[in-house]
Amino acid sequence: MAETKISVKNLRISFRTQNGKVQAVRDISFDLYKGETLAIVGESGSGKSVTSKAIMGISAGNAVVENGKILYGDKDLLKISEEEFHEIRGDKIAMVFQDPLSSLNPIMRIGQQLTEAMLLKNKTARRESRKDMKAMLAAMKQKMEAAGVVDAESYVSRFRDMEKCHAKLESEYTDALELAKEASARAENILERLANSKEMVPSGDMGGLAHAAKGSVSYFVVRDRAQEMKSAADSLSSLRKKAAKSGDNSQLMEAVQTIKEIADEAIALDVPNTFTLAGYMTFAENAIPKADSVKALNDLTRAKADEAFIKEFMEKAGLGVEQSIKETDANREAAIAALEKELPVFQGEPKKEDAEAAVKRLKPLVAKCINPLEVVKDSLTHTFGSSIDYAVEKYYSGIENNRKETARYARQKRKYDALAAKGKKPEWSVVPAGLVDVDNLRSDMEGTITELADHMKQQIADNKSIDVPTRTLEVVDFMKETEQRAAYRITKSVARERAIKLMESVGIDNPRRRYRQYPFEFSGGMRQRIVIAIALTANPDVLICDEPTTALDVTIQAQILELINKLKEERHLSVIFITHDLGVVANMADRIAVMYAGKIVEYGTAQDVFYSPAHPYTWALLSSVPDLDTKEKLESIPGTPPNMIYPPKGDAFADRNKYALEIDFEEQPPMFQISDTHYAATWLLHPYAPKVDPPKIVMERIAKMKAKGGNDNE
Amino acid sequence: MSDEKKNDVLLKVENLSMYFGKGAMTKKAVDNVSFEVRKGEVFGLVGESGCGKTTTGRTIIKLYDATSGNVYFDGKRIVAGTKSYYDEIKKQKKLRAELQKNGGSAQEIAACDEVITQMYEEIRKARYDHKHCDDDFRAEEKKRIQEKYKELLEKASPEEKSKLEKQKRRELRIASRSKLVTQIQMIYQDPVASLDPRMTVREIISEGLIIQGIRDKKYLQDQVYEMLDTVGLVHEHADRYPHEFSGGQRQRIGIARSVVMKPKLIIADEPISALDVSIRAQVINLLNELRETMGMTILFIAHDLSVVKYFSNRIGVMYFGNLVEMADSDELFRHPLHPYTRSLLSAIPLPDPDTEKNRVRIRYNPLLDHEKTDEVPELREVCPGHSVRCTKKEFEAYKKQVEEA
Repeated sequence: MAETKISVKNLRISFRTQNGKVQAVRDISFDLYKGETLAIVGESGSGKSVTSKAIMGISAGNAVVENGKILYGDKDLLKISEEEFHEIRGDKIAMVFQDPLSSLNPIMRIGQQLTEAMLLKNKTARRESRKDMKAMLAAMKQKMEAAGVVDAESYVSRFRDMEKCHAKLESEYTDALELAKEASARAENILERLANSKEMVPSGDMGGLAHAAKGSVSYFVVRDRAQEMKSAADSLSSLRKKAAKSGDNSQLMEAVQTIKEIADEAIALDVPNTFTLAGYMTFAENAIPKADSVKALNDLTRAKADEAFIKEFMEKAGLGVEQSIKETDANREAAIAALEKELPVFQGEPKKEDAEAAVKRLKPLVAKCINPLEVVKDSLTHTFGSSIDYAVEKYYSGIENNRKETARYARQKRKYDALAAKGKKPEWSVVPAGLVDVDNLRSDMEGTITELADHMKQQIADNKSIDVPTRTLEVVDFMKETEQRAAYRITKSVARERAIKLMESVGIDNPRRRYRQYPFEFSGGMRQRIVIAIALTANPDVLICDEPTTALDVTIQAQILELINKLKEERHLSVIFITHDLGVVANMADRIAVMYAGKIVEYGTAQDVFYSPAHPYTWALLSSVPDLDTKEKLESIPGTPPNMIYPPKGDAFADRNKYALEIDFEEQPPMFQISDTHYAATWLLHPYAPKVDPPKIVMERIAKMKAKGGNDNE
Repeated sequence: MSDEKKNDVLLKVENLSMYFGKGAMTKKAVDNVSFEVRKGEVFGLVGESGCGKTTTGRTIIKLYDATSGNVYFDGKRIVAGTKSYYDEIKKQKKLRAELQKNGGSAQEIAACDEVITQMYEEIRKARYDHKHCDDDFRAEEKKRIQEKYKELLEKASPEEKSKLEKQKRRELRIASRSKLVTQIQMIYQDPVASLDPRMTVREIISEGLIIQGIRDKKYLQDQVYEMLDTVGLVHEHADRYPHEFSGGQRQRIGIARSVVMKPKLIIADEPISALDVSIRAQVINLLNELRETMGMTILFIAHDLSVVKYFSNRIGVMYFGNLVEMADSDELFRHPLHPYTRSLLSAIPLPDPDTEKNRVRIRYNPLLDHEKTDEVPELREVCPGHSVRCTKKEFEAYKKQVEEA
């Protein structure tokens, strides 16, 4: 199974309002995997947007998170501080909002809005990466020493030197390549203009070309023809003056053409392996090697660097990684034993002091179970401390609250009864006691502990069959990336070029001109593209789209959906797509979660939900949209969603459901598993339930779709 | 088309144009659009946003003054624009000046003069119709009522007479305030924005009747309750305010408000675009019921093609102010001819993941999809009931295409 990006567990959110507590999200759990689209479908008021806003950390002020976790990497998004959230919001998780007009600033130019986040985020990212790198190197050294490697200090410091060199080379290469691309594009533009019009190209444009051309000259990119490129770039301004005087621009065109040729040639070159090159330069010879082609260069540096340092280092690092895993596993076993020992403290009716003392004992043990040389952060272990603190605090404040509430209720009731006994009818009524479900909170405490113990057992089992060299490679790669991130600096002009490239990739024509325009100068579809581009500026891994096409019409909608799909492929994004339009869902989703009244009622792959829907609410949704062949009366869903201040006791959909069984009014249905990927919460799936077929309109449509699909396959 | 069917035409839109702005800034929101809506049918108007669907609807109901072209409702001209006549006058004047300069014959000049006077006459008529169509309608209504009561009064006994006289006076008063355009009602897109938040549902629904001059409280109440029943609300809702209702219920109130005027034609301007999935079906079903029980004709403006297909008998596709294709809904979806219609159809999202993931969208680019000619394309009937805006050459190609299919 693919890597889990975001994992939402037992989330429960309510809103304080004047009339009472509105339970918007009631105990939902789902996972988002890397590179997939998860669609959340439901009526308005079903809690779709509340969930997505909680993930982004932008819940409304009166929202109360009652329970649950949103795990992202090593963090629980519900419990981190606002400062910590700054590093995630927009950077890692980005959002596209429903209305493009109201999510753009009307008095800022588009370009400014696009680069703003890039510049701000780059600073934090560098600081963060530097810190990470330092910690990792220290851990590596310590583990290597523990594994009996002599002179671990020197290995680590040599590796750090090499990494520094590597990051420098890598950024030099990317910059030069970028500038070569720019030079090529600019040269093409200028050539076209020179050929088509009599007027001379402004000196500013010419200067831009010269700057890009000169900048692209580096060891990696324009190497063989560096002299030629430089002289062509230098001659541009004088040639331009000459051409302006004489009116004959053939010489100038020739120079521009040369620049374009060289740049194109450079772009077509192979990618050099900067890592081995760095090794070569640090350990073999402190000079750039001579080679005919990039491939030959790569081979040469690889051989030399391996021989000099890398091979040896990898061996030693492997020992370190193995040691680290061994130590962590030992710590884990100790922690599991402690967890199981302390578990009874949290069962029954624990005293506050006991529970807190137990937590105090457990926390350092669990903290030791974090492998310092991990690539994928182990979110459950990282968040254990805050989770258990939170659960304990909730439990005891719940008990306190219940005590106060019962006292208040009794007091008020007494007063009311006294007045009623006197024959008066008070204008006010007794507010019913708002009691907290303490049992639920206690099971949360228990759950946090058992869940971690199970998780650790699983990890120990997984580590038994681990391949150390592969893992070492992963760790070294990860350190490489971290160092690169620390070295990568964005200047204003780089940010502008990147913004322009982004605008191009989301399909905006003439981005250089558009860059300086204001939002009102764009049409609806273009505005939505800008919003998507802004969401992508910081290269997030998760994109949340909250009804991005509801305000747009069909053709524009189709374009935006295609765009999101394309970007998802290119950037390996994970997308959470919120909508109520089932046609759009079919297009986008890999998996679908159908929400109703704050609960997920059906959860499965797109095929599962569209071809074998199991929940009556999904049937109702499917039958209430006409497709192109529908002739008969549509089946609308009668009534309105329930009032979430007083959620119904049984299945929330029972009142509007013509297939409702008696038990639907009594008890909430659990999630029944239909297949490996398909779940639904309805009593109809219980073995004792009567067999019910979906409505005719849905059955017919599925039959038709299947028939069509069959024909396609033949 | 047979004669019998022609008589059934309720709304006829003839070369309707609506321009905004003057001179170089002119925006042609609706340009030379013609179509007919027959009694009892649903005519769907589709196209992307900004193509002039809503402007067409609003011009028909006289919220805008048309630039040129005519709209006939129930055989009477209710909208008349004058620009086309002025253009003709300009042309003739130019011709006349040229003739005078080059020594044209007196006969030719006289012919020009005649055309010019004729055009001025047309303009006068158009202006009169545009402004006074309601007056004529009122006069007719009054005459009808007078005649009706003349007979009744002659036959009636003295006791009944006073009662009848009273009734007649009331009906005359209402007739003196009635308007022809009242028989066309509009349902707006956004139910939140189109209902006055400070009026109760009773006031909202009965407002039109009160403006018409009905003062009978009992009658008003009956009408309001009847409407509430029709649209599926309960009588208690009459004294609530719009904010107390859900989106679907609000749209029902909007529908009740227009249906209470007993219109012959309803212009539904994207009535379901702003609504939730489950509510959409409710509103579509309600409109369908109204159409069956009250025999209403509906001009349905929307951009959701699957809904339009489900709901309409005939569909007109608009692109940048022009009607590019018009046909029966089944025919249009089976044999779309104009490249824009095809691109529009290929963009419909369907609730079927397998086909949806392999869907290829056709792009429409007016510069590439049509051959470059100076000829102005016109709406031509390719086969009975199916018209496409095309040049002569394209027309032949389309014809061939239809025959092959």
